[in-house]
Amino acid sequence: MSEGTRGLLLSGVGGQGVILASMIVADALLNAGFDVKQSEVHGMAQRGGSVFSHIRWGEDVDSPLVPKGSAEVLAAFEWAEAIRWVEYVREGGAVVADIRTIVPPGACNDKRAWTERYPGIDAELFNDRQLKTRLVDAAATATELGNVRAANSVILGSVAAFLDVEQDHWEAAIERLVPRGTVEINLAAFREGREVAMARVPRPPIAPEGFSGPHQIDINHVWCKGCDICSRVCPEYCLAVDVDGRLNIINPEACTGCRLCELLCPDFAIEIHAPQTPAAMADANPAGGTT
Amino acid sequence: MADVKTYLREWAMPHVLCPGCAHGIVMRGFLDAIDQLQIDQDKVAVVAGIGCSSRIVGYIDFCTLHGTHGRAPAFATGLKLARPDLHVMVITGDGDGLAIGGNHLIHAARRNIDMTVMLLNNSIYGMTGGQAAPTTPAGAVASTTPAGNTEPNFDACKLMIGAGASFVARVLAANPIEMSKVIADGVRHPGFSFIEIISDCPEYYGRYNKVGGGAEMLTWMARRDAGVAVPLSEKKFVEHVPSSPVPTGLTTGVLERDIRPVFTGVRKQEPQ
Repeated sequence: MSEGTRGLLLSGVGGQGVILASMIVADALLNAGFDVKQSEVHGMAQRGGSVFSHIRWGEDVDSPLVPKGSAEVLAAFEWAEAIRWVEYVREGGAVVADIRTIVPPGACNDKRAWTERYPGIDAELFNDRQLKTRLVDAAATATELGNVRAANSVILGSVAAFLDVEQDHWEAAIERLVPRGTVEINLAAFREGREVAMARVPRPPIAPEGFSGPHQIDINHVWCKGCDICSRVCPEYCLAVDVDGRLNIINPEACTGCRLCELLCPDFAIEIHAPQTPAAMADANPAGGTT
Repeated sequence: MADVKTYLREWAMPHVLCPGCAHGIVMRGFLDAIDQLQIDQDKVAVVAGIGCSSRIVGYIDFCTLHGTHGRAPAFATGLKLARPDLHVMVITGDGDGLAIGGNHLIHAARRNIDMTVMLLNNSIYGMTGGQAAPTTPAGAVASTTPAGNTEPNFDACKLMIGAGASFVARVLAANPIEMSKVIADGVRHPGFSFIEIISDCPEYYGRYNKVGGGAEMLTWMARRDAGVAVPLSEKKFVEHVPSSPVPTGLTTGVLERDIRPVFTGVRKQEPQ
């Protein structure tokens, strides 16, 4: 490894714009006169997968891959991706993380309690490794400036605060690479990102209606004719008609509230009630959800 | 979305339709559509003829008229001319609308009078004992065609496009969300809107043709759809669908939408 070579990692979720952001970083470093190598994973991460990009720069760079525990800065466009890649950051390095959360499909397999498996946002999570954690609410900052789509420039601005690269080099890279017509807003967002205040840790989201517990299945046995449509269409096997033609709820815990049975009941005999409204839950539990 | 039961005459329930009959699903879809449109209940007039489908008007809490066999479009035409402020709708069946009432239906379409006709096609005469209807597909068994129907069947939507209806759509009872949206579209359309709703008759058609009960018939119906496939929670819903002699291939969705002069009964003023 060449002496003086330094590394940076960008990570996010497919569709967020990680690749463009990494091109801007690489371009800015090239403008500053460094030798730069960049490597990325893309393509497999059609919207929703994990996307990351390694960037190394210095006098003379041999390999584009950042070894574990050596990156100066990790720029994470999503909180779970920050945790996923934080081991690449060297001790005393910096983590710039958007407080945005995108729940990966793997954490959704329990449809009623998915928030439990998404890690809570915590500015002190990496303190044991002496990392400087900087949480950014990029979307809110960019929205204030006029266009939420400049959010990534806010993050790049925060990243630039940790790197000794001239502001002009960054701005030249942004001007060259962002889509035409968005240069002004992206430059404004970038400048704002250098000074933007540390985002407050957001309150954990309250589970949305439909996932906060099993729905109530209400059967009107007087109207039900036991035609068996509801039990056959239920994706969660909640209902069954017994030999006497009476409809029974056999798996009340599994109801997700899809309402297929209600919509396809010819006899108006099923009603699905949401367990609790989100407002009612917030009152009952002021500290927030279960994260 | 409000509870559709507010549009029901709850004292009349449960309704007379057989277990698994998709006409009940259509009824719910229709009430959903009215709920989407947020029309005052007193401004909705539903006219029906005779048949299983026409029994629906007994259970919905609007201005309803249970007319004579096949003549629902004629009643509705008079009603619309006398009370243009009402949203006039017709619920009719394939036997009611295409057999005995075929003439009334095509002439209402020709005049392009502002009404919505929902034709619930269950491919058989259900109420009278499962006789072959003009919509019974060739090859299908009915009580009058025990060896299989030898006649071809009507394509109601093509018939109505030919007769001049300005909004023609076909939807499946197995697809209730699309159904209510299309019904709402048809009610909004100025002029004659015709919506063929593919319903089913598990009691006669399903039994004679060995398709099965209500659940199997809904799946079978969805599989006939040559348009967008309708997976009704595929994993256990499609296992026991027996093969059927009935040809597949139903096009669903809005098939015709055109703005034409609407018949109001008033003669146009000649320019002086």
